[in-house]
Amino acid sequence: MLRRHFILLASAVAIATGIPLGANAKTPTDQLVIATNMSSMRGLDPHELNQLEAAEVVANLYERLIVLSADEITQPKPGLAESWTVSEDGKTFTFKIRSDVTFHSGNPLTAKDVEWSLRRLVKLGLAPSTDLRQWGFSAETVDSLIRASDDQTVVIETPEVWNADLILLSLASFSTSILDSVFLADKEKNGDMGREYLQTADAGSGPYSLKTWRSNELLIAEAYSDYWQGEPAMRRVILRHFPESSAQRLQIEAGDMDVATRLSSTDLAALEAGGKVEIQKTPGFGFYYLALDQKDEILSNPKVREAFRYLIDYDGLSNTVMKYYGIKQQSIIPAGLPGAISDNSYKLDIAKAKQLLTEAGYPDGFSKVYFATPVTPEFEVAQSIQANAAKAGIKLDLQGGDHIGKFRERDFEIFSARSGERLPDPHAVLASYATNKDNSDEAKLTGLLAWRSAWDVPKEIQDMVTAAAHETDKAKRTELYAQINKAYLAASPALVTSFQRTDAKAVRKEVKGYVGHSTWLTRWDTVTKGE
Amino acid sequence: MTSSQATAARSPDSSKLLSGLRKVATSLAVILTTLLGLLVITFVIGRLVPADPVIAAIGDQADQATYERVHKEMGLDRPLYVQFGAYLSDVVHLEFGQSHITKNPVASDLARVFPATIELATLATLIGAGLGVPLGVISAVRKGTWVDHLGRIVGLLGYSTPIFWLGTIVILVFYAKFGLIPGGGRIDIYNEGLVEGPSGSILLDSILAREWEVFWSALHHVVAPALILGYAAMAYLSRMSRSFMLEQLRQEYVLTARAKGLSQRSVVWRHAFRNIRVQLLTVVALAYCGLLDGTVLIETVFAWPGLGQYLTSALFFADMNAVLGSVLLIGIISIAINLLSDIVYRFIDPRTR
Repeated sequence: MLRRHFILLASAVAIATGIPLGANAKTPTDQLVIATNMSSMRGLDPHELNQLEAAEVVANLYERLIVLSADEITQPKPGLAESWTVSEDGKTFTFKIRSDVTFHSGNPLTAKDVEWSLRRLVKLGLAPSTDLRQWGFSAETVDSLIRASDDQTVVIETPEVWNADLILLSLASFSTSILDSVFLADKEKNGDMGREYLQTADAGSGPYSLKTWRSNELLIAEAYSDYWQGEPAMRRVILRHFPESSAQRLQIEAGDMDVATRLSSTDLAALEAGGKVEIQKTPGFGFYYLALDQKDEILSNPKVREAFRYLIDYDGLSNTVMKYYGIKQQSIIPAGLPGAISDNSYKLDIAKAKQLLTEAGYPDGFSKVYFATPVTPEFEVAQSIQANAAKAGIKLDLQGGDHIGKFRERDFEIFSARSGERLPDPHAVLASYATNKDNSDEAKLTGLLAWRSAWDVPKEIQDMVTAAAHETDKAKRTELYAQINKAYLAASPALVTSFQRTDAKAVRKEVKGYVGHSTWLTRWDTVTKGE
Repeated sequence: MTSSQATAARSPDSSKLLSGLRKVATSLAVILTTLLGLLVITFVIGRLVPADPVIAAIGDQADQATYERVHKEMGLDRPLYVQFGAYLSDVVHLEFGQSHITKNPVASDLARVFPATIELATLATLIGAGLGVPLGVISAVRKGTWVDHLGRIVGLLGYSTPIFWLGTIVILVFYAKFGLIPGGGRIDIYNEGLVEGPSGSILLDSILAREWEVFWSALHHVVAPALILGYAAMAYLSRMSRSFMLEQLRQEYVLTARAKGLSQRSVVWRHAFRNIRVQLLTVVALAYCGLLDGTVLIETVFAWPGLGQYLTSALFFADMNAVLGSVLLIGIISIAINLLSDIVYRFIDPRTR
């Protein structure tokens, strides 16, 4: 009845207005159209943003000294720096800058731009500045530590000796993008170093330049014809805001979109079965974790912490809600990084959990409030844990909502969420999960998950994490991380890791060269399209 | 004419003017109080929302120093009343602040998204009123017949069908299955940027620019969401029209008109319908106001970049400048529409003058 009525109405209006019927059309072969959710995209200043979708845009508008290819994510390769040397003491990095690069403005890219950009990142001091500040650079010291010695040479000195890879990998992050300092000199307002201008514009040298950006609607990037590696095959890349997963699925099925980036498990499964698209699962450097408040008398008991390990249905979740979102990984170093182990020996075992609770002195269980973010798949995982905990006698009052603020303030009992790091090195994860130099409330080390959980990480683990970051010998470093991995599990951590995150995208089969990148740097200039 | 006569002649005019001015002043006071109340309530609710705007802006993993710095930059370290006072002072100077999400001035964001919603809501209201009012009138005139039953069923379905469900089904059938309508947005991406006109309505601007391909593309995109919203409006308006008409048809003047031998058409449209115009205008104005801020679900389903989507996104990420600006705009437009309908009453109903 309803459908008939609507068809009648639609037909009447269509006839009355003479609308040409027939809407579906494949995207042109020289344009890439990406369906995405832009809700979290705010501003395009590479030294300010800290978000996946915006990072992918910035990765293509700007370039960096170092490049990490998606298939060799831990191998630093030349980008804007055609070569580099590291001094014998391991503290001085000298980069030779390419001489054939021009910005979208037409200005040549020189070492002065590199100097100005890296100093800007540190001086602005916003979220992504951690990528350099964690190695000891500060607003006060950066002018002396990062300097251009001539138009093609940049010297970077680190205050301490770090493993060289940590510095080089940091210089591949989107946050270390190089900006056109001459062009931005005119755009500065009240000493903001062009920050206001760059929210909605670009000043880069990447393969694409920004043509249009309307927040939560549309972004159009145009190929940069003078790009030093040659003009990209895709004349335009268009990002369109589709907040609904089902809408993205229909669009890519119909061929109106080439790539869909935010899809639910159900839609991903349906698309995979449809055969028109390829589902890319890109591993990320983060985990789905369960945080147990260590200021709580019950939850700080190591046997209780251990019991939670047996309340997660690893295999059941792997085949269902986590099929596209995660890979089972119970140890603390993500797969693919030095020191990672694939020993996932924990299984769902209610009897074992009950035994541990009895040994801990809680044979009848206990009740706790459990905060979880009400998004897929975090909430489904939380519901599964809640159901299993109930079988072991633990009553969890599951409360969905935005509780991240309370977690940061240590105002919680149990909390679960998903983390994500951008540095393809074990240190990035360990610094947050396994270091906590001052566990007092006053220290406010809110950036660290271990501090938020009030977990006083065993000193030997923290020392090993520090030693590994400073270790210059690759083999010794890998061995150290393997040791840390085992020690972390043996410590029955307050942060229970279950799955390594993966980001799933659907890409139409005629699209080649669009490769998901673990550090959010998916390139558009490598994309080509068949008929 | 003596001076006393002149004074006597002027006094009624002066008192009329005075009374008129008093009315205007009262209306202005009511409008300003309403808008202030709206801002206060929205501001308070905004502070009760658990989302932290600072974390929304800098990300979960940022350290405390960054958090405190951005917290201060956003002015959130000041007492609430100071924040509100500063906002009011800005509003008086027509400054609505910057959106933390889009990084644009809120005023320019609203200038971009509001025309999209106006375009959709206006078309939906035209469809709703154009179909709903005649349907209601005919249902009332033919009360108890199959026409009436059909009208009521159509109305009931429109009332009870969730709009997002209907939108999803329409996309599934007419876009995914038959390819008759576009899958979302205001225009084909290949026509983007060809028309950037004065009104912000792509339909109007493309006509002005004589860009007919853009016009057809925009029309093609707006039909489905406008029809769905129009259907919901039609359901409401047909029920109201039917009820108003039934009341009029029971009046004695209708009996008199029929007794005079007037034709059915004349009795219905020239006599009874004339008397429901004021009530109808009120409900059409209300329906229009409702559509302006109620298009959010359909905007989400059809990826329509309008005010509803902007406001929802702002609420999710605690972007208070954007929320307050949007609410203020909706408030102003609602008041303006009500004022306009009051003025129109005076033209169509002499009793209200």
